[in-house]
Amino acid sequence: MSLKLEEKAISSKQQFEPLIVAFCCNWCSYAGADLAGTSRLNYPANIKIIKVPCSCRVSPNFVLRAFQRGADGVIIAGCHPGDCHYSTGNYFTRRRFTLFANLLEYVGIEREKFKIEWISAAEGNKFATVMNEMLDSINKLGPSRKLRDGRWIRQQ
Amino acid sequence: MDKTTVRMQQIALQTLANGEVDVILGWKKGDEWYDSYPVVINDINETAELIWDAFCVNNLSKYLITELKKNLRIGVFLKGCDSLAFNQLVIDNRIDSERVVIFGLPCPGMIDPQKVKHAGLNKGLLKVERTGDKIVFITKEGVKEYIGRSFDYDKCLNCRCPNPVVSKYMLSDAVTRTDEEQYFPDVTEIEKMPLEARYDYWTKQFSKCIKCYACRNICPLCSCETCVFDNIAAGVSSKADADCEQQFFHIIRAYHVAGRCVDCGECSRVCPVGIPLEKLNRKIIKDINQLYGDYTADTDIAKSPPLGTYKVDDFDPFDGSKQGGKK
Amino acid sequence: MKQVYKRDLERLWQTISEHFELYLPLEQDGKVNFMPWKQGENVNIDRLKTDLSPKNIIFPPTETYLKFRTVNKRLCFESVGGKNDKYVVFGMRPCDAASYSILDKVFLQEPIDRFYEERRTNGIIISLACSEPEETCFCSSFGIAADNPVLGTDIAAWDIGESILWQPKSEKGKKLTGILDNILQDTSEHEIIALERLQQSIREKLAQLPWVDLDLEIISNNMKEMFESKVWEELSKSCLGCGVCTFVCPTCHCFDIQDFGAERNGERFRCWDSCMYSDFTRMAHGNPRKTQTERFRQRFMHKLVYFLNNNGVYACVGCGRCVEKCPVNMNIVKVIKKLGGD
Ligand code: SF4
Ligand code: SF4
Ligand code: SF4
Ligand code: SF4
Repeated sequence: MSLKLEEKAISSKQQFEPLIVAFCCNWCSYAGADLAGTSRLNYPANIKIIKVPCSCRVSPNFVLRAFQRGADGVIIAGCHPGDCHYSTGNYFTRRRFTLFANLLEYVGIEREKFKIEWISAAEGNKFATVMNEMLDSINKLGPSRKLRDGRWIRQQ
Repeated sequence: MDKTTVRMQQIALQTLANGEVDVILGWKKGDEWYDSYPVVINDINETAELIWDAFCVNNLSKYLITELKKNLRIGVFLKGCDSLAFNQLVIDNRIDSERVVIFGLPCPGMIDPQKVKHAGLNKGLLKVERTGDKIVFITKEGVKEYIGRSFDYDKCLNCRCPNPVVSKYMLSDAVTRTDEEQYFPDVTEIEKMPLEARYDYWTKQFSKCIKCYACRNICPLCSCETCVFDNIAAGVSSKADADCEQQFFHIIRAYHVAGRCVDCGECSRVCPVGIPLEKLNRKIIKDINQLYGDYTADTDIAKSPPLGTYKVDDFDPFDGSKQGGKK
Repeated sequence: MKQVYKRDLERLWQTISEHFELYLPLEQDGKVNFMPWKQGENVNIDRLKTDLSPKNIIFPPTETYLKFRTVNKRLCFESVGGKNDKYVVFGMRPCDAASYSILDKVFLQEPIDRFYEERRTNGIIISLACSEPEETCFCSSFGIAADNPVLGTDIAAWDIGESILWQPKSEKGKKLTGILDNILQDTSEHEIIALERLQQSIREKLAQLPWVDLDLEIISNNMKEMFESKVWEELSKSCLGCGVCTFVCPTCHCFDIQDFGAERNGERFRCWDSCMYSDFTRMAHGNPRKTQTERFRQRFMHKLVYFLNNNGVYACVGCGRCVEKCPVNMNIVKVIKKLGGD
């Protein structure tokens, strides 16, 4: 019964409220989000931010788990290549997730659902734009159960 | 007896006797035609039981990880694909190559007992002999001969490295393969499918998985002390029969060997339900080759593994490059 | 004794599936396994053994017992699992059918496993004798007759070429036979002779197989010696500790119970487990069997000694799946031979 309820919520498109999980690097994007906030730039409330010490801390497990447990989109935001607080972390992020993003697409997951963005602490503006664009494209895709854990019930 | 087997037994005897090695990793023959199984021996009397035939499919290099903890010097027989895994284990810092003596075995291809069975040739079969592409089936009724590779494991038909890339003693002449094989046709085929079809294809394949973990345990490079899928604390060991858990397992397994997979095909060979795991592995290999240069994993142990390194000017699919920032 | 002509098989399945869920050996991507049948599926009743054993029908790889969630701050439970639909399995081999009777000893002893019981009572097993036993078959060593399905069988069947002979063995079997009255035909002297001939030929073929009389008593009568034997170390050296042998085995029945927990709901389910795994029966201090040698020993001692002592039968039916599927060619036959002093 419980499952059916959720199915219904998903099937009516106007009710679709996407959830986007953003893994943000503490040293740049997270500060970027802050800046966006203090500059009163609008970015959607659908974005749930998880702070990480570096974009390369994010393991693909996290990304898949996020999808399983209700995320409609996942984004990893880190410092621009060359600006990593730990010098080289995001170069590894770039290689790893280039392959991972390709792999996801290969098993049939839309590109729009998983993104990487380089956003510095000064780019509050970019943060807001990126998040709005992401939300837009997820909205366009509409609700989907791909990668979702059917047993997981999201609280309304 | 087969020439290579004779040579094999000689070299094993010799190196054990003169103390060059303490134990030897090889294969012995069981009762049945298809049964060549891995053994660890340290007794010179047992060297006469070692065997080389078309069923020595097991890669012995993974056993080095545990055996090197117990023994000082080990002799090991390696085929072409096995030697790639050996090198990768050295790159991964899992084994000390100084303490290993390699006996190289150029390999014409291994025979798939299931293919023999499905061709109905297993009835009363006593022995199968192979020289090059000539296969002789010795049965109770008589002898049948075949030329060609129709009984080879699928993975062997795709072999890109029949000759060992590293060895101290080579036991026979190099195998030459002239057929120009296409390396990634299967991957390209899937890439061309529409997204939804791809999703359905993989979901269906993954749903067959019974989580026996044979693919992981046979993989020479899945060598973690505690696998993430066995680590309850990591919260990923769930064996629930949910599509998402299957996807999780398969995507992560393939990804964990990214840049290290030598495409030996063992994972697909042992999968009891026939999931084409190689198509996942090869997708990653193909991308790595395209993006980060030909990393013929494993032939050059001085090179760093593609995911253990980076270049400042790596291809950046995430840089819209309109918004600036350093490159 | 009845019979069904091969040209009528499709009609037979159609009729059965109108009343029951029907499991048949279906071929997909070269593998044959028992799966629910629909019209148009690729049925293969000639493949001797399915790749996986049919134990998943009565003992699914994962089965949810219980669902729970909080509703208005109260915890609500819902019991799920088991199987209410009546079903028929057609074409199971005598060894696999016998394995059901072995699993019964585990799940139907007190306290009875209710879900298992449901699946068992709702199923009708039509077991097909093996016209062509293979080298990897050693059912005879475990007293199972490939020419005459009995154990765990509701209807015994024989493929005599033109038709399949059909003999109900239980009440359930008789009922099903009644339902199929207009498809099943009577048999005559001619078919009875054909059956005898077939059984004779099966017995002859079985006698030719390499492992028909393995010496088991020497093992089961010497528990202590066997337990302490030196050979375990040697045998287990190549074992990878994967669980293929246990998962394809029709009689392996160990399971784990796990919880899935979400924010405010969850599920409790059981899933297959394997004594070959490093996290099997894991307790606070870890796995009581610390090495692969101990785990390996457990699997075979259980099958050949402990299970016999507890239940009066061996926990092996000689189907040979482990022989075919073990990635390193280690298997129960090798173990038996080695323990029996080659
Ligand atoms: S993932 Fe498969 S193909 Fe790659 S090294 Fe491991 S067993 Fe071989
Ligand atoms: S070998 Fe096959 S069935 Fe077993 S875990 Fe791997 S993919 Fe799944
Ligand atoms: S005996 Fe074979 S199938 Fe069983 S766990 Fe060991 S390696 Fe795996
Ligand atoms: S083990 Fe015996 S009963 Fe099972 S398939 Fe082989 S011959 Fe038939």
